[in-house]
Amino acid sequence: MTEARRLSLILAVALLALGAIFAGPYVLDTYSVNVLTRSLLYAAVALTVDLLWGYLGILTFGQSVFFACGAYAAGLVFTHMDFSEGNAVLALALGVGGALLVAAIVGWLAFWHGASALYASVITLVLPIVATQLLYSGGTFTGSSSGLSGFMSFDLSMEAWFWLAGSFLVAVTTLAYIVVQSDAGRLLVAVRENEQRCKYLGLDTSRLKILVYLACAVIGAIAGYIYAGYAMVVAPELAGFVFGTELVIWTALGGRGTLLGPVFGALIVDYESAQLAGDYPFVWQLIIGTLFVLVIIAFPRGLLPVLFDIPRKALGLVRKRPAAPPASVTLSTLDAAETQGEEVGDDGPALAVHGVARRFGSLNVLEAIDFEARAGELVSLVGPNGAGKTTLMRCIADGAERSAGTIVINGHDIGRKPPEACVALGVGRKFQMANVFETLTVAQCLQIARARHARPSLWRRARELPLPEAAMHVLATTGLDRQLSTPAHLLSHGMKQALELSMVLALEPRVLLLDEPTAGLTKTERMQIGAILIDLTKKQGLCVLLVEHDLDFVREISSRVIVLHQGRIVLDGSVEEVVASELVKQVYAGSGHAGIAHESGPSTAQEMPA
Amino acid sequence: MIAQTLDIVTTAAILYAVATGLLLVFGVMKIINFAHGGLMTLGGYAALIATQAGLNPWLAIPLAALFGGVAGMAIERFVVRPLYARPLDAILATWGLSIIIGQVITLVFGRGVQFTQAPLEGTLDLFGESYSAYRLALVGIAAALGLALTALLQGTRLGLETRAVIMNEDLARGLGINSALVRFITFTLGSALAGVAGALITPLSSVDPNMGVPWLVNAFMLVLVSGASLASLLAACLVLGGAQVLVATHLSPVLGGLTIAVLAAVILRIRPQGFARD
Amino acid sequence: MSLMRISRRRLLLAGTVAAGLLAGPALAADTITIGIPVGLSGANSVVAPSVVQSAELAVEEINAKGGILGKKVVLEVADDASGAAGAQKAFDSLIFQKKVDALISMETSAARNAGLPIVNRGKVPYIYTSFYEGRSCSPYMYVNAWVPDQQVAPIVDYFKDKGAKTYFLIGSDYAFGRGMLAFTKEYIEKTGGKIVGDEYAPMDATDWTAILSKVKAANPDAIITSTAGGAPNVTLTKQLRAAGIKSLYGNLAVDEGTAKSMGPDAEGIYIAGSYFTNIDTPANKAFLAAMEKKFGKEMKTPNDLSVPEYEAVYAYKAAVEKAGTTDAAKVIPALAEVTVDGPRGAITMNKQRHAPLTMYLGQVKGDGSVDIISTFKDVDPGEQCPKLK
Repeated sequence: MTEARRLSLILAVALLALGAIFAGPYVLDTYSVNVLTRSLLYAAVALTVDLLWGYLGILTFGQSVFFACGAYAAGLVFTHMDFSEGNAVLALALGVGGALLVAAIVGWLAFWHGASALYASVITLVLPIVATQLLYSGGTFTGSSSGLSGFMSFDLSMEAWFWLAGSFLVAVTTLAYIVVQSDAGRLLVAVRENEQRCKYLGLDTSRLKILVYLACAVIGAIAGYIYAGYAMVVAPELAGFVFGTELVIWTALGGRGTLLGPVFGALIVDYESAQLAGDYPFVWQLIIGTLFVLVIIAFPRGLLPVLFDIPRKALGLVRKRPAAPPASVTLSTLDAAETQGEEVGDDGPALAVHGVARRFGSLNVLEAIDFEARAGELVSLVGPNGAGKTTLMRCIADGAERSAGTIVINGHDIGRKPPEACVALGVGRKFQMANVFETLTVAQCLQIARARHARPSLWRRARELPLPEAAMHVLATTGLDRQLSTPAHLLSHGMKQALELSMVLALEPRVLLLDEPTAGLTKTERMQIGAILIDLTKKQGLCVLLVEHDLDFVREISSRVIVLHQGRIVLDGSVEEVVASELVKQVYAGSGHAGIAHESGPSTAQEMPA
Repeated sequence: MIAQTLDIVTTAAILYAVATGLLLVFGVMKIINFAHGGLMTLGGYAALIATQAGLNPWLAIPLAALFGGVAGMAIERFVVRPLYARPLDAILATWGLSIIIGQVITLVFGRGVQFTQAPLEGTLDLFGESYSAYRLALVGIAAALGLALTALLQGTRLGLETRAVIMNEDLARGLGINSALVRFITFTLGSALAGVAGALITPLSSVDPNMGVPWLVNAFMLVLVSGASLASLLAACLVLGGAQVLVATHLSPVLGGLTIAVLAAVILRIRPQGFARD
Repeated sequence: MSLMRISRRRLLLAGTVAAGLLAGPALAADTITIGIPVGLSGANSVVAPSVVQSAELAVEEINAKGGILGKKVVLEVADDASGAAGAQKAFDSLIFQKKVDALISMETSAARNAGLPIVNRGKVPYIYTSFYEGRSCSPYMYVNAWVPDQQVAPIVDYFKDKGAKTYFLIGSDYAFGRGMLAFTKEYIEKTGGKIVGDEYAPMDATDWTAILSKVKAANPDAIITSTAGGAPNVTLTKQLRAAGIKSLYGNLAVDEGTAKSMGPDAEGIYIAGSYFTNIDTPANKAFLAAMEKKFGKEMKTPNDLSVPEYEAVYAYKAAVEKAGTTDAAKVIPALAEVTVDGPRGAITMNKQRHAPLTMYLGQVKGDGSVDIISTFKDVDPGEQCPKLK
């Protein structure tokens, strides 16, 4: 399907939905029109819960607050300043502005580098509690517990409100659908899947989360504004925790990460509750609670996907599913002139490490690390387990890691910068365990790695993916370029390693940090990687820092070897010097089990009495 | 001055009693148990049953522990265990459970506000200040709870295994510790403690189907700033509970109600490990 | 409520969406339907059953005597969940789906406010039967319960006579709490008393420690409280007693039933209202006997929230009979002109849509019953809706 056809199909469905909305008041009774007008607006807010939770992985209990922002802006302005067209615009601006301000504060609190998902959720839980309390204490200004009512509003008929609310929902749903299906939308899934990898691909995930959060706040505020205009009443429960969690229930029941699921979940449950809650007030809550727990445990994807799967499975019995779809993306080699990687600093070292130390409490993992590496050098870092090799890598790729010392990349001090800023300076880090986006395809993983350079489109899916020569080289050598549509989790271990390497190379790094890139690979794969690394340093002029246990491999490809022992550099010299060194033999002999197990960080387990 | 100090100490004691069960579950399972509020309510109704049966009011505490513990066993087995790999979903499911507990209680006991008999009535003279005797007794009870838990964790084989799971679950399993059993016991114990907390607060307030809810968020925040240590929980309760009392007394009780949550959020933003040592 | 019925409804869950969209119950023209949106769940759920019982008794009595204008009266009860969102659904359902002729209900202020715009759209008469903080006005609404202007004076005047000079006010931070105490403060200062403290706690707060410490420090002659109903009110009383505070204690938010359930802690509390079960009139005795007869053991104690509901049904009956029709445009003006002689006495809603009421000052006794200390005839509601007649 071409890009144009895909988009026009989405628009056609949207138009159909608009048609249904238009027909609504003609086929529904007054009661249903009334109830559904509110449900349509609630559904728009449920959509924002899905964007944040289903796509970005942020479980949020506080979207009600943004709805209330828009609603209260209208209520306050129309109550205290009277209704007029000018004031209506003012109220909308205040509502959206207020929501943005609140979202910015929450974003600052909840989405900083290193904040856990749980912490972010708890912040969104505190938000509605604080907001409700503030509304209560607002006295006659906010109407306290009674809320505000009796203000004038737009003079529209019930049908017109239904159309307005419905069109708004269709518009935001369509827009959200196009965005999540686009290249930019895939970033959201990537962040949910593996935020750490995203950061080390140079993506400012905190900024991305805050941006999405702000956009969701705006949608919520506009929905709230329409609500206040229609209902002509605002009450503190609009901002409350109960409404906030109801939105989560609707999203979970409908199906998180499907957009349409939460929309229909909100519409159906809210409409039904108008019918049934009146008849069975407590039993209705019990039913919803039980259903919710069951869905969370048994159908975490929600009910909409289950409904869709039934006909699909039925059809599947008749018709075999086609094999892997043909690659939808074509690779091309980026013109060397167009590469945007960090320029090689003039003659200075590509990487300079001075006096770096890393301490965990009283434990010194690294101490007084000093060395420099130039472009075109392949420096191997060797040493027994616990020598601090991976810790050193971490310190170079993340400014917040080291306890002391300076690290300069291409003449720029990394200071306390987070990983994504270090990537911008030219650092590329490949992790010890293959670290890719498991549910995304090979092509999609690579696209995300290029997102830093080629700003992904908010509505289109790119058909072409230009990659730097180095990355293309890895893909061609390993044959990954023939598996572009394969989801990453289906790749072999070696292929995943190769994919991660090409992702890192797609960043156009000047300093490449490789943590045991050959661990667990076959001999042939190892040879391939070796050849690629030599090529990268010799031809592309990269500075490569390699952690490796296989000394034969090190001997073959390194231009220089640094030996770490107990957090200090004990030797820094050519391959020959190191091989001949008695000291190195002692270090390895002393540690007993060279090159077997993976090195792990300092473990608190040692303190534990066994 | 003395009255305020007593307010702070007793408030901290109540918060400590309410939060310990949550802390235990959080430490071992790394999930926030949203059903904690519901389990507290269950404990409150256990105390009500004790009162209605004419039992000695002190017997409400073991009865509440029994109620909470049994409910906890069922929740761990049927809800939390299947969601081991999905911590955020486990949070949601326990929250769904709190709705279920609340509604079932409403259907059985009705919506109304009910009362239990307090084990201690009246006031006590302390440092020239006459102060609610039961609040003072709570300080002793909270201290006893804390000491008993510390003894359990430090002095028994189960405690040792629990600490091992808290520190590094994979390694603990490698050492032959049955971590599934540890989780089961911890959750049961945490739920029993929630029940006890519910029974402990009823003489101060009343029994109704939502009685546990207002305590929930404050307890979450205290646990989050404490990490997984009973000692730092004590520090957090004293500091944040103290701040709450001071704000409520000198600024406004409305702001006082928000103090713990807001302060804890900001503390975690500035110092992610909160009151824990590292 | 039978479980069989519930499970059937669950099966029909999906079906009702479609059915609900198409069906509107066809009502026979020979009935008059009264809608009762009320908080069966949520904060009001404790008192709601007594309200529904009152309405049921009134309707039964009216139908036994031939209905209104010869038509049978039918009740439609809907749960408003004691809040705005639930009220919108309940009002929508009653007005547009059940097509009621009038709404008569006791509700929270948030629920009433959320319902009023829908009442305006549906243009039905609405009698609000709950005491509230005052000054809510709508061309469709009448109120037959008290507002602060009517309730506060009896308590404060009595405390003054007892020699109280300093007062401490405690409330929950919500519209009723703030509204009542703002009026109380003004009234105390006007009559020469002194406010030594004025504190509000969050609406769901059950820990009053900080405020009570301040009360002890201020040592006032009298305390007047206006908290949210249920747990906050009860916990405040218990903690106040536990803290050993001995000042005069006037509670603006406690009703007879709650006071009874609090046991010995409630003893000595002063309360004011327009209805107590102890009111010694033939009308009240007849009403209580009828309630007893109809509901027997199931009877919920009638109270200051349920009795106005009973009387409002009669007020609507009188207004329809006066207008000769259920046409809202004619019934609404008639509601201001008719007088109902009920358990609370003769009441006419002729003062800016509100009603002058006979108010009683009572004190809770050890056994939980209320001793009526004094009676204040036809207390005026003051300026509530100057824009409406």
